[in-house]
Amino acid sequence: MTVPQLETRDAARLLDAVHDDRGAPAREWAAAGRPVVGYVGADTPVELVTAAGALPVRLAGRPGRDASRARTYLEGAVDPQVVNILAGLLDPGETSPDLVLITHESDASLQLFLTLRELRRTGVEALPPVHLLDLLHLPSKATARYNLGRVRRLADQMGAWRGRAIAADELEEAVEAHNRARAARAELTRRRATCLTGAECLRWYAAGTAMPPGRYADTLTEALRSVTGTPPATPRGRRLFVSGSEQDTADVYDALESRGWLVVGDDHSWGDGGHQPLLAAGGIEALTEHYTRAVLPVTGRDARRRAAIAAAGVLRSGAEVFLCYSRRYDDVHRWDFPGQRAAVGVPAALLRDQPYARADLAELAAGIGDPQKQVTS
Amino acid sequence: MSERRRLNAARDALRHQKEWFAGLRADAERGRRVALVNADAPQEILRAMDVPYVVNQWWASIISAKRMSGRYLAELRSRGLPDDVEQYSALPLAEALAPSGDDAPWGGLPRPSVVLAECTGDSMRRMFALWESELGVPFLPLESSAAESVPERWWELMRHDWEMAIGSARVDLLREELEAAVPRLEELTGGTFDRHRLARVMDLSNEQAEWNRRTRDLLARAPGCPVAVNDVIPAVMIPQWHRGTEWAVQAARSLYEEVRGEVDAGRSVVPVERRRLMWIGRGLWFDMDFYRSFEESHGAVFVWSMYLALAADAYARYGDDPLRALAARFCAFRDQMYTPPWSVEWYVKEARTHRVDGVVHLVSSDSRSSWFTTRALEAAGVPVIEIRADNADGRSLDPGELHRRVGRWIESLG
Repeated sequence: MTVPQLETRDAARLLDAVHDDRGAPAREWAAAGRPVVGYVGADTPVELVTAAGALPVRLAGRPGRDASRARTYLEGAVDPQVVNILAGLLDPGETSPDLVLITHESDASLQLFLTLRELRRTGVEALPPVHLLDLLHLPSKATARYNLGRVRRLADQMGAWRGRAIAADELEEAVEAHNRARAARAELTRRRATCLTGAECLRWYAAGTAMPPGRYADTLTEALRSVTGTPPATPRGRRLFVSGSEQDTADVYDALESRGWLVVGDDHSWGDGGHQPLLAAGGIEALTEHYTRAVLPVTGRDARRRAAIAAAGVLRSGAEVFLCYSRRYDDVHRWDFPGQRAAVGVPAALLRDQPYARADLAELAAGIGDPQKQVTS
Repeated sequence: MSERRRLNAARDALRHQKEWFAGLRADAERGRRVALVNADAPQEILRAMDVPYVVNQWWASIISAKRMSGRYLAELRSRGLPDDVEQYSALPLAEALAPSGDDAPWGGLPRPSVVLAECTGDSMRRMFALWESELGVPFLPLESSAAESVPERWWELMRHDWEMAIGSARVDLLREELEAAVPRLEELTGGTFDRHRLARVMDLSNEQAEWNRRTRDLLARAPGCPVAVNDVIPAVMIPQWHRGTEWAVQAARSLYEEVRGEVDAGRSVVPVERRRLMWIGRGLWFDMDFYRSFEESHGAVFVWSMYLALAADAYARYGDDPLRALAARFCAFRDQMYTPPWSVEWYVKEARTHRVDGVVHLVSSDSRSSWFTTRALEAAGVPVIEIRADNADGRSLDPGELHRRVGRWIESLG
């Protein structure tokens, strides 16, 4: 892809624009006759997609999307964010992926795969082909061996899909490109609190799930220059750490920050929790090890580990308040909240049964106080 | 209306279970270690170690039947834990966390020395880990794997061709996990794993499954349903929790012979069987009388529940390596009843062979793929009514309203 020289302000605007229209890079990519793979799961080995010449785009929900048909199929206790993703696949508009890849990141992800598979099998809906990568995360040798077989199989599938096996040098190049994106993302994590609101930061993280990795690394690096100047424009608000359900758009953070909060850290995979160490060379084995052990979805962490992560995140970010935001049917966080509350050392609140992309701010204010009132009183 | 005579097999099973549990409690009080095992985990590994175990969901059904679920679930809530998520699996934990009282069901569950469960869904690992963090009971988790593609008609493959039906990778995974779990289980329970004993346990459990298959086939072919489903459920499920014992085989055989006698004698639950109904979902433990409540008023009989049908189709696994066959029994167990296309094809097959006029489909909050089940049945010409409730949580349902609603639906069947 041609990478134009970006002015720093243009870079920031581009990241914001990609957050708002996740399909934009995919359309540009596809216009050149190249395939797009939509994926679900923070533990997706995107390097295999890139190595196969496709653009990996992490599928996200879109607030306001009509999800009623999707809810019909994917009924029961399934996270509405995933239902919203299904709605997007049922009515993709101009940005239908050529292939969908789903990991066993959560029960909702697995249910999404099973629903897509059955909708395709029965011919109820026209959908792109869908693959399941059944990555598991218990800390056992048996799991590691199983995962290696699954990742090898995916590599074979991606090769077959594009008509040519993935070569070792293609995988190495893909690893390098995604490592560049990881390094740029890590810099954003380090600098977020001094120059960005939580919502701005989340927008910039999210852009990285939809852009080609090398281009994202360049754009993010340039954008960070635009917000680093003198005097520093340190954002203000009561410092809040957000845990719990995945936030794939900035809507909840926008709402929180409009009420006087400042999201200074988070532990879900669309935010700081999406941090990954650089992937070591070593082919499929190293790739498997990375996505089995270094990239753990929430369901792959036990309650003690989540409490420790929350405590460390609060300490690092200087948060004054801890919020566990739990969407309706995304109940795993409710099991972990008592341990987190005991560990974080600051006032903690649980918002449960939340709808997609919205937060019950009145309940939060009732439980923990309203920063706006504190500022104005 | 025929008299409501309880099946001997059900009565005997219930009596056996009470005696067995009293013995287990007495043994536990004398210091014998007891395990708690989830229903979809490979219990036979403990049987082969001669370690007594209680099945988590069976114990939940006892709590629910004693109408104590609300009280115990409140204990979870008081600790800030969910009381409205996977209640069926959470009830034994809730009881263990609650202050012990004299009114605990059957005297209460002895404190287990180990908990064994598969990590199905997002909550199961959390829930069982609380046994360890809150009560000091070690938890041994097993993976819950998933298949990308599956062949059709699993019920024709599972007994002998399970390798093909499930795929080697999933079987290998669970077999390896079990192999690794054995030393830890021996340490925690004081038992000794015996591979030859496991082979015998698998033989016995396969024999039990064959008797259940004969019983299911007999009931499917019988002109009128001769036995009530709320008798069949305990007559099948209590021996199921004793899978791999001589008693369980004999219990399954006795059920078959008793049903055979009823069929040969031309008996039926109602004199004139006007509607044959199928119940899809877990048993309504807090209101088992529901299943018989339309016989007199509507001539409607529940002829099917998943418990006998699963016992007939889902457990038998033959093979030279008993540990591998055991892994094959469980690594795709839930797929058989909850994952399309397997689940929906199977329900349609069972509805057809049992000649049902309609299906009452319990959709719990943790039910999966229920839209596909309902759709497939309706496409096959079988009317379906969906009920949304939790089977073990009596708070989730108004029994009177449920009865009226199902009654109106039965009347609407053509």
